[in-house]
Amino acid sequence: MQHGNLVHELLSGVAPEAVPEWATILVTAVIGVSVLVGLVSVLAMFSVWLERKVSGHIQCRYGPMYVGGWHGWAQSLADGVKLLMKEDMIPLGADRVLFVLAPALVLGSIFGAMAAMPLAPGFYFADINLGVFFILGMSALTTIGVIMSGWASNSKWSLYGAMREAAQVVAYEIPLGISLLAPLMVAGTFNLLEASEAQSGWFGMKWFVFQNPFLIPAAVLFFVAALAETKRAPFDLPEAESELVAGFMTEYSGIRWSFFFMEEYAAMFLMSIVGAVFFFGGFESPFTSLAEWAFVAESGADGVVTEAAGIFELPLLYHVTAGTVLAAKALFGVFLMMWVRWTLPRVRIDQVMTMGYKYLTPLALVVVLATGFWELILS
Amino acid sequence: MDFEGIHGRLGAISAPGLSGADRPREADPEDKKDGGRAGDAFVQVEPGEIAAFLAACRDDAELAFDLLVDLTATDPDAQDERFWIGYQLLSTTHRHRLAIKVFVAKEGARVPTATAVYRAAQWHERECAEMFGITFVGHPDPRNILLPDDWAGHPLRKDYEFPTEYHGISCE
Amino acid sequence: MMIESQGKTTEPQAAGVVLSEKARTLPSGEREFMMDVRTADLEVNMGPQHPATHGVMRILIRTDGELITGAQPHLGYLHRCAEKIGENVEWLQYLPYTDRYDYLAAMNNNLGYSMAVEAMLGEEIPRRAQMLRTICAELNRIGSHLIAFGTYGLDLGAITPFLYAFREREWMMALFEKICGARLTYSYLRIGGVFNDTPPGWLGEVEHFCDVFEEKHKEYVDLLMMNHIFVKRTADIGVIPAEMALDFGLTGPMIRGSGIDFDLRRDTPYMLYGELADAGAFDVILGSGAKGALGDCWDRFYVRVMEMIESVKIIRWCLGSIEPGPVIAPLPKVLKVPAGEAYVGIENPRGELGHFVVSDGGKVARRVRVRGPSFCNLAVLEAIMPGTLLADAVAIVGSTDVVIGETDR
Repeated sequence: MQHGNLVHELLSGVAPEAVPEWATILVTAVIGVSVLVGLVSVLAMFSVWLERKVSGHIQCRYGPMYVGGWHGWAQSLADGVKLLMKEDMIPLGADRVLFVLAPALVLGSIFGAMAAMPLAPGFYFADINLGVFFILGMSALTTIGVIMSGWASNSKWSLYGAMREAAQVVAYEIPLGISLLAPLMVAGTFNLLEASEAQSGWFGMKWFVFQNPFLIPAAVLFFVAALAETKRAPFDLPEAESELVAGFMTEYSGIRWSFFFMEEYAAMFLMSIVGAVFFFGGFESPFTSLAEWAFVAESGADGVVTEAAGIFELPLLYHVTAGTVLAAKALFGVFLMMWVRWTLPRVRIDQVMTMGYKYLTPLALVVVLATGFWELILS
Repeated sequence: MDFEGIHGRLGAISAPGLSGADRPREADPEDKKDGGRAGDAFVQVEPGEIAAFLAACRDDAELAFDLLVDLTATDPDAQDERFWIGYQLLSTTHRHRLAIKVFVAKEGARVPTATAVYRAAQWHERECAEMFGITFVGHPDPRNILLPDDWAGHPLRKDYEFPTEYHGISCE
Repeated sequence: MMIESQGKTTEPQAAGVVLSEKARTLPSGEREFMMDVRTADLEVNMGPQHPATHGVMRILIRTDGELITGAQPHLGYLHRCAEKIGENVEWLQYLPYTDRYDYLAAMNNNLGYSMAVEAMLGEEIPRRAQMLRTICAELNRIGSHLIAFGTYGLDLGAITPFLYAFREREWMMALFEKICGARLTYSYLRIGGVFNDTPPGWLGEVEHFCDVFEEKHKEYVDLLMMNHIFVKRTADIGVIPAEMALDFGLTGPMIRGSGIDFDLRRDTPYMLYGELADAGAFDVILGSGAKGALGDCWDRFYVRVMEMIESVKIIRWCLGSIEPGPVIAPLPKVLKVPAGEAYVGIENPRGELGHFVVSDGGKVARRVRVRGPSFCNLAVLEAIMPGTLLADAVAIVGSTDVVIGETDR
């Protein structure tokens, strides 16, 4: 099944014959990138606000309350403006080129990974056959940016942070990838949209975790590995503010620092999306089924609405519902990550390594094996 | 054990360098100028023998002073030729204390270090040395601890003159 | 981390590989080498501005990767000449300065200094004043241990317990604000007694605080002290054997964490503590090596956390037997202390706080010596830090619970 790009299709539909193909592709790309940048920025800002509220409520306080009026909703906006206005400082001893390049690489790679993120059935920026591995690969690129920043800062604390990041990410890429193999076997596809569709049925509850008992441990493994991959507590060793001051970000300030910050929240959201799609039903939920039944009763099984159909002839509402369901699932994942962060102490580097190599990786392999056997027996 | 008991025991084991005791006393009603002496009782020890004395206090089973609580000097008067170093010992097993006074001449004060007996003395002696200008002979790490390395003078001596500037920073 | 590989080679070949002297000939005739790929040691300044040094302290750490091979604390960044000031102000004027060295336990500092001066005055302290002193000192001990609890969690990456601890500490400070108007530097305990009597209903509020605190204390134990990650991070780390603890002159929770049954409140009784100990109003908490070796970071933390409950017990005992009466001994405004010298050591939250005062019979001290427990407790770092990881350094510094204001004075 091959999806086209929605924007591209729309553009091709309205463009006159004389406009060459590459021009529409270019315009599509520009629109896509703009929307993506906006989306990620808003998402990151929202996540920062959410983090502050969540941490506040966990810690018996309110968090931001004043900026913007309602529960300090504009706090992140104000922070963003403040960070933009800050002096752009580069330490004297730093490697200027790498120092400037590092945050750009970090943010750029997470934007790239975001491109393969589905927004709703039929709404996406890039439909890639190997979607999930594209996402993992691109988000692994951020590591290089982090190491670059640690090296370029010419600060010992930054260097420590970078070395920790390198060791940690290498260790946790493996269980992360392997634990994803289990749902991939059930789904039979690397494509996020197709994986989501594979979970339709049972009135929206045919999630992979319910299809195969071994996917529950796989989901736990994925969550732990994703925490480590996104440098979130208790695996926030590269930053480890009480040990390494701020780790690889020690020498950064202003907007460059906020790039790292945005990357962290974007990565959290991305990992949650991947987790939601491959373990917890993607777009599927009772609400989605209800919306599908109500609005797109006559459309194809792939969810892409070719002609307006359904009882109320409002297929867009189905898409909105599906997108909202996925976003809600992802945000719940983000919330879980925050919950963990504000509850647990940080583990030590050797414990991180031990856990990654000695426990998570073998466990993930066992889970994959068990999942495979289960699938074999069932089929 | 109270002070008299400890003092007697120190005499019984002939602790090296023990030269007397300084007890609080009531004011002499005959002498108007004498106000007596309040506070703690001390034993006095010869400066050269202090390390051996401390070792004897620590190792005797009845005294068992296993904790060196404090080590500091006192410069009572700028006119005096000498000042004294005070040691405070504590026994966690027998739960008694002992205060020791060691009188040393101000000029070129030299005392053997107690670090070999109690490692706790290490930082106290560093502080004492920089504040009073006492040399602790044999100290493993005789650097300043609270003051900058290039600080001139010994601030807690009564003849200390406050500097007017430090590295171009006015101190007045 | 040191990359260490073991292998059999007949000859050293790889460049950059330093062969240690562990080479030996196997029974088979082969030569076995232990290979250490060693990188250059890195000297890192932890501080003077570092989140985990609890103030402006600098520890010069030599590291081999993440492994610490040497540590040297550098003090003096907060030196405020407290002892010199003591020789230049009147007896009572010095009292506010005592607030400032261990600013987390100002009541205890007031107490130590007042008691040192009183030892020479020979003045009888009214019983109600002693009760109020005990209540305030123990409340302040709870407050100080709450900081120790919270910041230790913070050092290890658990941020939330810190705010929980501050919630109760805030209440404690509000209680102090009611009784003396200050929240941090109280100067409430005066030479001869306390500054004034309690406001109406204050003792009832303290009782309410105790009730609530005991409930909240269970949360602390569950949330942080028994947390699996926390135990893994602190057990068997920074072990101070009993002999080493004595050798370094450690006191307070540091020495009790190493299993030495010694508490100045019980063993060299002062004020009402002898009476309290006889009545069995409080126990001395000792480290037991429950989670690892005896005297590790966890044991010291355990002692602090459980001591808070003992303090609550002491406060309850005092609240039960406090009676109306005068709160300060009649002393002249301008105090003249008889000539002499006295050393008084009391149990501060961090250990033995000693005040050594020398008087020549005048209005001003000849010498005020402050024996800060943090100063002595910190000296042990040099001995226990080498061989641990960088993250453990933070755990060890946190477990000594230093207040830099006190080490530097």
